[in-house]
Amino acid sequence: MRKIFANAAVREFIRIVLAVSIALLLGLIVTLLVSEDPWGAYKAFLLGPLSKFNRFGDWIEESITLIFVGLSVAIVFKAKQFSLAAEGQLILGALVSGSVILFVPIESAFLRITVAVLAAAAVGFIWGVIPGYLKAYLDANEIVSTLMLNAIALKMYDYFLTYHIKPEGAGYTASDFLPKAYQVPSFMPKFAGNLYEMFSKQTNITHFLYIMIAACVIGWFLMYRTPFGYELRMIGANIKFARYGGINTKQVIVLAFAISGIFAGLAGAHLAQGIHNKLILNISMGLGFEGIVVATMARNNPLFVPLSGLAYGYLRAGADIMERSSDMSREMVLVVQALIILLVSAEGILPVIQQRVNLNNGKGDGVGTAAVPEGGSDVIQ
Amino acid sequence: MSFNNILQSIFSALFVASVLRISTPIILPALGGLVSDLSGAINIALEGTMLVAAFTGVVVSAYTESVLLGVIAGILSGLLVAAILGVFHLHLKTDIILAGIAINIMATGGTIFLLYVLTGDKGNSSSLASGSMPFIDIPLIKDIPFLGTAFSGHNILVYVSFLLTWLLAVFLYRTRLGVHLRAVGENAEAAASVGINVLLVRWIALLMSGFFASLGGLNMSMAYLTLFQRDMTAGRGFIALAAVYLGGRKPWGVLIAAIIFGAFDALSNQLGSLDVAPQLVQVIPYVATIVALVVYNIRQKAVALERMRSFQEHELTAQQAVGD
Repeated sequence: MRKIFANAAVREFIRIVLAVSIALLLGLIVTLLVSEDPWGAYKAFLLGPLSKFNRFGDWIEESITLIFVGLSVAIVFKAKQFSLAAEGQLILGALVSGSVILFVPIESAFLRITVAVLAAAAVGFIWGVIPGYLKAYLDANEIVSTLMLNAIALKMYDYFLTYHIKPEGAGYTASDFLPKAYQVPSFMPKFAGNLYEMFSKQTNITHFLYIMIAACVIGWFLMYRTPFGYELRMIGANIKFARYGGINTKQVIVLAFAISGIFAGLAGAHLAQGIHNKLILNISMGLGFEGIVVATMARNNPLFVPLSGLAYGYLRAGADIMERSSDMSREMVLVVQALIILLVSAEGILPVIQQRVNLNNGKGDGVGTAAVPEGGSDVIQ
Repeated sequence: MSFNNILQSIFSALFVASVLRISTPIILPALGGLVSDLSGAINIALEGTMLVAAFTGVVVSAYTESVLLGVIAGILSGLLVAAILGVFHLHLKTDIILAGIAINIMATGGTIFLLYVLTGDKGNSSSLASGSMPFIDIPLIKDIPFLGTAFSGHNILVYVSFLLTWLLAVFLYRTRLGVHLRAVGENAEAAASVGINVLLVRWIALLMSGFFASLGGLNMSMAYLTLFQRDMTAGRGFIALAAVYLGGRKPWGVLIAAIIFGAFDALSNQLGSLDVAPQLVQVIPYVATIVALVVYNIRQKAVALERMRSFQEHELTAQQAVGD
């Protein structure tokens, strides 16, 4: 027993599960206080996404976006660079990928879709280089610069959508639907017959699912199996030490911002090409910040991002269903979400839990071990 | 409407008045951002603090039918939010940025949630009869043609924001605690080594920050408008953070930067009738902030280099003096 708890990863997992449970429990208490039918409402919240096939689809679609954004945040946060740029990168990614599908006359559907996705990744990369360069070479606060770049990206999106992309005379501010022939196909191959029919009719789960899985593996490989990833983690652990050890910290920081932008750009492409199949106003609504929750729960490890993305997407989808089927409003989940961030990221809570675990195992040296700084699990593996 | 008309409307007293009105909810949180930034903690939670205060002010003033109680409750709620941030950041060692983001999310969700519970409406609080803070006519000035329209008859918080800027400048540069606060922000270890209670100073800075932000929020819901709307702060807390840097981290500079943001906002409203996309005007202050950030940091670097050089020269001459 004690051996299991001695493993840092297991302790970390328990901590996150505890944090999520506490947050959900508080959500339940709030529901009990407010709702006329609290059990019905909470059941819709917790089980809703599995109750119907199309709801299951909504959950997975939303999670794919969240996982892309979570990956983006994880990479840059791993280097302890608090870039909030994902929001802007995502918006521009959506703008560019949607525009390519709508306006670039490439005959082959495969090529046009590929170009659109790559363009989204590229624009995310560029929108990451700017704050990265400002941070690394000029020491400009990345939070302020990325917030400004987000605002600029949003205004650019609104401007192009309103004045150039919106079809003439349309009464609403949105683009045309992407042409059917150039939409990303369902993730189920055609030869799957019935399954293909089911998934392609009722859900929008597309080939982006495969891109997402590849992105997670690439993200993990980059972070844990390449020199760049090692340097990135060193900088996150102790930047002065990293510099002293001969790492070109400036270059690595710029790259971290830029690579993180690629994933956020892909999230934007998924919004435009996978979920909405057109460009609409307010396409993001703060998804960039949601990515921070996903990355925090995954402890900035790309392999855990899919888990936390699915878990968090589940909460969000459940909240939507709860709102539709009960008197509770979906904003309750925002409170739950905030509590999760606070509880998971409060490193001061860790020693307390660790101490308890050790004491429960009847070991006198528990207090001693607890005093060893764990660095909030951000230990270099 | 021609370009001349636009120019005319910009140089009118009404435009100046609208700039002042629009700037105030940026000035107040910007002062809060300045205090915490100078103490070494960047307060991302300004936005959420404003929302909570704006909401609390409206609800309490509606239920107690007292504007004063609403304002007091609003300020207390802002201080409470700052205290939550303080507990998590200073005692539980949460990263202040993550804690700030969490608080913003909680404020957005919590205010909409409670609004729905109290009024059954998720959009705004128009069904609550909430109060408004007093508007002040300045004697003498109100009768002068241009100045009267521009500077008199504003909400009390417009004047309070200028007064607070001055008070904050005095506090930061003329009082012991202010100097300590800046020292902690500059180098916490050095400050601790000369006996400054770093934790206490940081707590004070965060609470002050919450106080300023809550005034900004109250300005939104009990002066600028007289109701609460979901997400009514609309990013002003973040713009306030930018104003801190655009203003070179000095009280009067921050005030001017906030007014610049307000002026561009007012300008983009005016341009609606001209053939210019409002987005293109609204984007200017954001670009300007990035430029200001770059210029500020280049200057800081130059200053640091200069200091290092003069220090080395000083050491060298001292060594030579000993050698002789």
